[in-house]
Amino acid sequence: MSKSYLRNVIGEYMSVLGEKNDKVLVINADLAATCRNKTFKEKFPGREFSVGIAEQNMVSFAAGLSLEGFIPFVFSMAPFLTMRACEQVRTDVAYGNKNVKLISVYSGVSGGISGATHWGLEDIGIVTSVPGIKVIEAGDKVQAQKILELSVQYDGPVYIRCSVEPCDDIYEEGTEFSFGGSKTVYEGNDGAVLCAGVTIGYALEAVKEVEKETGKRFRVVDLYSIKPIDKQAVIEAAKTGKVIVAHDHNIYGGLGSMVSKVICEEGLATEFANIGVPDRFDAMAHAPYLYEKYGYDVKGIKETILKMI
Amino acid sequence: MSYSISELEKAAMEIRINLLKLCNKEVIHIGGDLSLTDVMTVLWLYKINYDPKNIKDENRDRFVLSKGHASAVTSFCQAALGCFSPEDVINEYAKDSGRFSMHSCNIVNPFVEVSTGSLGHGMPIACGMAAGLKLKNNRTSRVYTVMGDGEQSEGSIWEAAMNAVHCKLGNLVAIVDNNGLQADGYIDDLTGLGNIADKYRSFGWNVVEIDGNNIEEIKKAFDSLPSPDSDVPTCIIAHTVKGKGVDFMEDLQRWHAGKITDEQLKEAVDGLEKAYSARWQS
Repeated sequence: MSKSYLRNVIGEYMSVLGEKNDKVLVINADLAATCRNKTFKEKFPGREFSVGIAEQNMVSFAAGLSLEGFIPFVFSMAPFLTMRACEQVRTDVAYGNKNVKLISVYSGVSGGISGATHWGLEDIGIVTSVPGIKVIEAGDKVQAQKILELSVQYDGPVYIRCSVEPCDDIYEEGTEFSFGGSKTVYEGNDGAVLCAGVTIGYALEAVKEVEKETGKRFRVVDLYSIKPIDKQAVIEAAKTGKVIVAHDHNIYGGLGSMVSKVICEEGLATEFANIGVPDRFDAMAHAPYLYEKYGYDVKGIKETILKMI
Repeated sequence: MSYSISELEKAAMEIRINLLKLCNKEVIHIGGDLSLTDVMTVLWLYKINYDPKNIKDENRDRFVLSKGHASAVTSFCQAALGCFSPEDVINEYAKDSGRFSMHSCNIVNPFVEVSTGSLGHGMPIACGMAAGLKLKNNRTSRVYTVMGDGEQSEGSIWEAAMNAVHCKLGNLVAIVDNNGLQADGYIDDLTGLGNIADKYRSFGWNVVEIDGNNIEEIKKAFDSLPSPDSDVPTCIIAHTVKGKGVDFMEDLQRWHAGKITDEQLKEAVDGLEKAYSARWQS
């Protein structure tokens, strides 16, 4: 299957958005190159602001621009945007429902050899706990573009995270997505793997191998809308009696927590496994090595399924 | 509107009296409200282009209270302008479902451009608004933001201070209420802040230092602001006295926030009225 680097896709697509809507701005804190915003910068002089290595100011500054009617897209790495500027995201953007879009690259451990300082282990936990922000994990090229389009149409704060690892091209052009939606990318009733971002491709491969070896067919659901979450999709998954959440985030506060909350609230009985970063820091390493170590690559997801069967 | 110096001083006195009346009912940040009263009176009654009947006017000046705990003096200044009545502020302050509270909230009070309270936020937001105005080719509106001197310890202030110069925000006017005290005591005892004016100057700002409790000097500083269409942001360092105008409150940490008794209210109001009469009616 072909793959895409989503930060390239998003960075390039900003120019399309900029063309369509002259209110769209891009704000960077010295990561314009990393976030692939050079094209936007060249194409729309004056509509890209580089504020220096100053994430707090970047987010507040964007809030100010939104008060003047603009739609600023703020770019950084997940830990810097959601932790260094956490209070600015909460108080200057969410409080007052400002029309600011927050775009994170380096989700999960995709920052790999940059080390834990550059890993987004907590971003979903942090941002989902802030009232009123929509939280999305982009996992595919078409999806990322569509979510960006939806973000421009929606008047309010949106947080979008993406991996720097390449993600499988899963969706066909024209596929529709929505805030609060999900996509079943592989049908199955013997269990369900719920995932987002880089884990979708791993889950797909894992369930196919399991099916070949055991005849058991597990569903794969892309829960790209982490908040609001597609409750019905989680309920349907729980009805299979076997739910596995595989995500590139700490096991606390990420998609696993969001899914387990729905299962509890709905009073559903199901086997449940939450595979993500196992609540620890590690030394730098390449992302695929870490995915294997933490057990949410193809091999790890497959092992978890086999244990459940 | 054209106000004479004596009229502005009278308005400032009335705003102080309203603050004290409120302070007799509720705990407010009275010290920092009083230090800022003269600057805010001149800003709201004389300088700012703001029509309470057309608060979304594209050509209005914007105001961001970075020092969010000075919400009471802001509300009374806006009341003096006709946004609502001073009695509204006194009756609704800190009341459930009221419009006024310890820190200004835009959800219930549309005259608040930005909800503030946590320090170090208003100034960078004001920078974004000023940059937005420039981008819209608005050459006449200014963005005013008022900070505390204790607030200058927040790193985000200096991130914004650099950015404002880089973005050539000549339409930005940042005012520092330099009363020398923060919640825990004298700033010089607690921090290495040093000379604020020098710091802004070294960042490339146009810096004006005034006696921030002298209406004439304040007026002059506002009259001499560079055009909003210019390229250099202005910082007005207003040297003030915390608790200004109330003898038993001046320059005391004790009155960062608090409540006064009926006797204290009477004493304070008498003092303010006598001081005004001595200046203008003898």
